[in-house]
Amino acid sequence: MRISKFTRAAVASVIGGGALLTVAMPIQANKDLARLSKEDTNWVMQTKDYSASHFSKMTQINTHNVHHLKPVWSFSTGVLNGHEGGPLVVNGIMYVHTPFPNNIFAIDLDNPDKILWQYKPKQNPAARAVACCDVVNRGLAYAPETSEHPAIIFQNQLDGHITALNAKTGELLWKMENSDIAMGSTLTIAPFVAKDKVIVGSSGAELGVRGYATAYNIKDGKQAWRVYATGPDADIKLSKDFNSANPHYGQFGLGLKTWEGDAWKIGGGTNWGWYAFDPDLDMLYYGSGNPAPWNETMRPGDNKWTMTIWGRDINTGEAKFGYQKTPHDEWDYAGVNYMGLSEQVVDGKLTKLLTHPDRNGLVYTLNRENGDLVNAFKIDDTVNWVKKVDLKTGLPIRDPEYSTHMDHQAKGICPSAMGYHNQGIESYDPNQKLFFMGTNHICMDWEPFMLPYRAGQFFVGATLNMYPGPKGTLGQVKAMNSVTGQFAWEVQEKFAVWGGTTATAGDLVFYGTLDGYIKARDSRNGKELWKFKLPSGVIGHPITYGHNGKQYVAIYYGVGGWPGVGLVFDLQDPTAGLGAVGAFKELAHYTQQGGGVMVFALGY
Amino acid sequence: MQKHKHLVAILGLAAGLAVFPVAAEDNKPLKVCAAEDEMPYSNKAGEGFENKLAELLGKGLGRKIEYVFWTDPRYFVRDFLDKRLCDVAIGVDDGDPRLLTTKPYYRSGYVFISREKDGLELKNWDSEALHKAKRIAFVPGTPAEIMLRAINRYNDQFNYSQELVGFKSKRNQYVKYENSKLVAEVASGSADVAVLWGPAAARYVKAASAPLVMTVIPDNNVRADGQKVGHHYSTSLGVHKLDPTLQAQLNKVLEDRQDEITELLEQEGIPLLDEPEPAK
Repeated sequence: MRISKFTRAAVASVIGGGALLTVAMPIQANKDLARLSKEDTNWVMQTKDYSASHFSKMTQINTHNVHHLKPVWSFSTGVLNGHEGGPLVVNGIMYVHTPFPNNIFAIDLDNPDKILWQYKPKQNPAARAVACCDVVNRGLAYAPETSEHPAIIFQNQLDGHITALNAKTGELLWKMENSDIAMGSTLTIAPFVAKDKVIVGSSGAELGVRGYATAYNIKDGKQAWRVYATGPDADIKLSKDFNSANPHYGQFGLGLKTWEGDAWKIGGGTNWGWYAFDPDLDMLYYGSGNPAPWNETMRPGDNKWTMTIWGRDINTGEAKFGYQKTPHDEWDYAGVNYMGLSEQVVDGKLTKLLTHPDRNGLVYTLNRENGDLVNAFKIDDTVNWVKKVDLKTGLPIRDPEYSTHMDHQAKGICPSAMGYHNQGIESYDPNQKLFFMGTNHICMDWEPFMLPYRAGQFFVGATLNMYPGPKGTLGQVKAMNSVTGQFAWEVQEKFAVWGGTTATAGDLVFYGTLDGYIKARDSRNGKELWKFKLPSGVIGHPITYGHNGKQYVAIYYGVGGWPGVGLVFDLQDPTAGLGAVGAFKELAHYTQQGGGVMVFALGY
Repeated sequence: MQKHKHLVAILGLAAGLAVFPVAAEDNKPLKVCAAEDEMPYSNKAGEGFENKLAELLGKGLGRKIEYVFWTDPRYFVRDFLDKRLCDVAIGVDDGDPRLLTTKPYYRSGYVFISREKDGLELKNWDSEALHKAKRIAFVPGTPAEIMLRAINRYNDQFNYSQELVGFKSKRNQYVKYENSKLVAEVASGSADVAVLWGPAAARYVKAASAPLVMTVIPDNNVRADGQKVGHHYSTSLGVHKLDPTLQAQLNKVLEDRQDEITELLEQEGIPLLDEPEPAK
């Protein structure tokens, strides 16, 4: 029988998961979490595992039978804004989150008809006005039980708070203020649990927030460390041997020296993307975002350490290396994207790597032990602001034609401010050594303006128009080897693939589209094998898990976020939503708002 | 004397172009480009002081006033006056190169606004009180921004400045700083000082819930590179570049009715300054 051939791995995982349920080691949250993340019945963190592989070894659903996938149950979240991230599944419970007002629902997979517990926080509604691009939230985090605390669900609220809830009951254990909305700072990032800490980022670079990442102790919410992107080295927390392997990246004093005056105080560099963690090295990886204010003429200099890939010690927060991808950003290429860890052979040696598809249209691969730049190549040959990255200096060689200087009207800049890659979490198939990338294919015109009014007043700003890239559509899915820079395949999507991909050992890659499809492709050649139209568009990522011997695929629907901002706020002006409304004007003909989770299994 | 010569020169130009008005034109309503909601200058309900000025002009020309309202001050010249959707804009900087401007009908300056009870010594941008002020309300893009940078108060006021407009990004949109709100910030104690264009603040200072002081900032400010940062401006009417006839007619009205105009501006509470002697 064909099915049994592909179910072995899934069943084995289920048994393993059951056996581990009762084990609770004291103060080893990270180890338990790492173990849970390796059981493919679970999906315990947004990135699936510490490497952010987003890869499941399950094969029950595979290229031969994926066309039999049918919806088996669904759940409306009651919230209509954009649903980013994905649900978590831990030991038979699914945890569903929503955008603002940031409700949480726990659902027992044995009886998904009934809500196990729900949490509806009271939040300062002013937070809504501060968020730049819809009121998204990128998901929950889970910390296993220890002798010091029960199992915890962590959530970041838009109004700047991180909350810790008892995963069994939804009871609030502690709550800390991380970001002050009165300062323009919100929280949209998913928390990240590593060791005995939970890591939280920050949002609001556009509003002059000085970005930071903070570690809180899981048990009581006490701040363990906080590290900034700009300012004095002590605030940025540079280790004594910072960038010693690559001194040409820059070392000390640059968080001040690369800014005019004290502009670093409002210099941006927030981080609202994804983290990865290497438990062997005890190192945390993430990217800091764009400098502020976004008008580049107002902040001469390299603006370090915005736009930087960080490798930091999880225990102290100290940075071992920092590589700035886009010195003095002019395009809003916020560098907060996905960090995917892999072990691959480079120059004949098995190397610990970090791969990062940046918003600027380049894919960077670094040695994640010391920050060596292994490779940097264009995610699509239509990227034009940069000719290439000089691997010796680490610097991008820019094309001045696509600069956004005040005296220059740039047309056809690729990528647009949305980036060729935005907040999606990608997947890595270690068997094929391929990353699967859901991308934007959007370019822009950037018209800076400085218009006189009265009494010597000038209106300073820019008008951005965004539109499909040279290949004619707004999105792509690509399979890529990060070491060689070779693409195994690429397919065009009508709309951006905003939420990212999930891959399985069944040779499948799953993703959602803005117009509301969940699709499965053969990960070896990109061939479309299955699709299903959801009630609303997708900006989150699919997950897969096992329950009672059966493999499931789940995904949020709920169009919105930056690409869907026109639908969410019913905007008509093409330049509204920072230019997103024009780019995605067609979207309203394909989907409308809605919010929920839909779960699929083989239906035969 | 100087003013007179100026006027003659303009009339001469108009005659040279031979576009003196025909009678039919005179009876057409005067189309005034005005803001739909930019108080205290103008709004749709006609409550702005420039709405009152428009009525005066209409009377002076013997023509009816017809408003053409715009919503975005960034583009009212490009999208309205340049396209001749209207005839005249009220309250433009004297000599705005995009327009033909009339002779100025008033001159005013940027002001510091503070609470009377605080007794702040606010004379100029060197005043110590500006360093001690907790919050300073200002409108980005005005000379106040340049000077706040110069005295190193821009960065620490950046967040507050964003808060005043609900954290709206200036990318791809016009973000309006409400003059009434900025004055109210001082009156309520939320800010210690506001820096505004005097005419924009005047009526709100007069009507404030707490007694406020308004001090005209001297016009002797320079940037780090030595370039002047103008704080006093002369205000004119603006017409299309190809409409010297209307310019001349408006100049005549302004001359005839300057007293009425000045009275109107004084009622508004606008600090009025003497026109400078033009450079020779």
